[in-house]
Amino acid sequence: MLGVSIILGLIGVVCILDSRILGRLNMERPLFTCTLVGLALGDLPTGLLVGASLELMSLGIVNIGAAAPPDMNMAAIITCAFAILTDATMETALALAVPIAVLGQMIGVVVRTLLANLTHVADRAIEQGRFDRAWQMHIVWGTLFYSLMYFIPIFLAVYMGTDMVQSIVSVVPAWFTDGLNLGSKFLTAYGIALLLSTMLNKELTVFFVLGFFLVGYLGLNITAIAIFAVIIAVVLSGLKFRTAAGPGALAGDGLDDYDPLEDDL
Amino acid sequence: MGEKMAVKKRSDFKKYFQFFWRSWNIQASWNYERQMNMGFLYGIAPTLDELYPDESDPVQRQHKQEAYERHMAFYNCTPQTSAFTLGLAASMEEQYALDRENFNPDTINAVKTSLMGPLSGVGDSFFQGTVRIIAFGLGISLAQQGSILGPILAIILSFIPAWFVTWYGGKLGYTMGSKYLTKLQGGGLMDQLMYVCGIVGLMVVGAMVASMVGITTPIAFESTGLVLQDVVDSILPQALSLLITLVMLALIRRKVPTGWLLLICIFGGIVINALGILV
Repeated sequence: MLGVSIILGLIGVVCILDSRILGRLNMERPLFTCTLVGLALGDLPTGLLVGASLELMSLGIVNIGAAAPPDMNMAAIITCAFAILTDATMETALALAVPIAVLGQMIGVVVRTLLANLTHVADRAIEQGRFDRAWQMHIVWGTLFYSLMYFIPIFLAVYMGTDMVQSIVSVVPAWFTDGLNLGSKFLTAYGIALLLSTMLNKELTVFFVLGFFLVGYLGLNITAIAIFAVIIAVVLSGLKFRTAAGPGALAGDGLDDYDPLEDDL
Repeated sequence: MGEKMAVKKRSDFKKYFQFFWRSWNIQASWNYERQMNMGFLYGIAPTLDELYPDESDPVQRQHKQEAYERHMAFYNCTPQTSAFTLGLAASMEEQYALDRENFNPDTINAVKTSLMGPLSGVGDSFFQGTVRIIAFGLGISLAQQGSILGPILAIILSFIPAWFVTWYGGKLGYTMGSKYLTKLQGGGLMDQLMYVCGIVGLMVVGAMVASMVGITTPIAFESTGLVLQDVVDSILPQALSLLITLVMLALIRRKVPTGWLLLICIFGGIVINALGILV
């Protein structure tokens, strides 16, 4: 269990460092981290399924800049580990992992405050002419603290929590797990709605509806939708931005033909 | 420490690589006070070290110290698009070092500050709002079929544009600088890009509602043999998924707090499922 916990903690480090030192290549997302968990624990199919479900739920949650609880990226790793290591369903595992991720988020607040203090250390280092020390605060200490912020909660959750989760799962009634299953579908709808709330505007609503109906009635898959969407968008933007430049030119032509001063002459 | 006298000029490739890599890791010390300040300093440090190599000379040392302090100011930007600002700031520092009389160093931070907003806006909506949605829309649908290609494809599709924008952003910022920025803003190119991204993103999200939420109703009338879900499917497939998504959207628009919404999802799910209304 110790070895497994350490490996999962290290997957957590990959997850947090993706946005810290790789500019956010989306390796922090549940779809990727759960696949890693699945590979590490020798159950890839579960890893993929849990990853896909959690990815959908957290689709609208984007950790840009400041932290917004709950940290779904951390919760995803713990959930997937519980789902594989115990008899828990994905939904039950998620319900148990979210409180841990909320605690993890609090550690995140501490880390970001601590780094604010390191900024002052860097300020002083520059005053003293110790220039290397200033940027080491960033790449060495920043990286280290953020890594620990993910490693510690995940390690502890898996190392100490797995047996507890197993004993909880064995007494959970069926109506509860079925209810959580519907709840997870609501969460998926919520995740997508969160995304929509930032993207949707009056002019473009029709394209959301179009995407929905193309799948609903014609049963096209997402790849097909993405390809058609790019074609439609390129054609329409060509038209839109040509005519946007057009009226000025046309109006100019019109003025050449029709000179209002002619009447006065 | 003997090295500091022998700082060589970097090759262009090394310079561009540093803009690239040090933009990607700009969030390593993200903090509540000045956010990415130390990240930006780390990015521009090689340029400053190159411009003021001799710390034993008090004048150079003074200039170097001023420059380091200058770049400890508040900064926050999408890492990929931030490379453009880093390249531009590096070229401005070089100009300033050449001609200290006629160049006001305050303009360097003024340029950084003025670029943060627009570059973050475009960067976040492009990378998180469009690239991610397409990459993960495809990735999720493959993963649901049990294919490991799903997550792999999602990461490759995320990587390519991120690499491209960061690498060429840094290069453009450094070589063409402010000239390119006005061209970019003036030509309506940004508006066109945002328009295309908006359409593609929304169509993929619409498709996701229809293919990935999957809410159905078990309600059936035994007396008439009518299964409600069959009726719904024959009129508008996935109508319930769309309905629930729109309800969630309405709740979000009414600024219901996130914590409450999560509780509504979980407990609503348990209650509605127990009542036999939805599955």
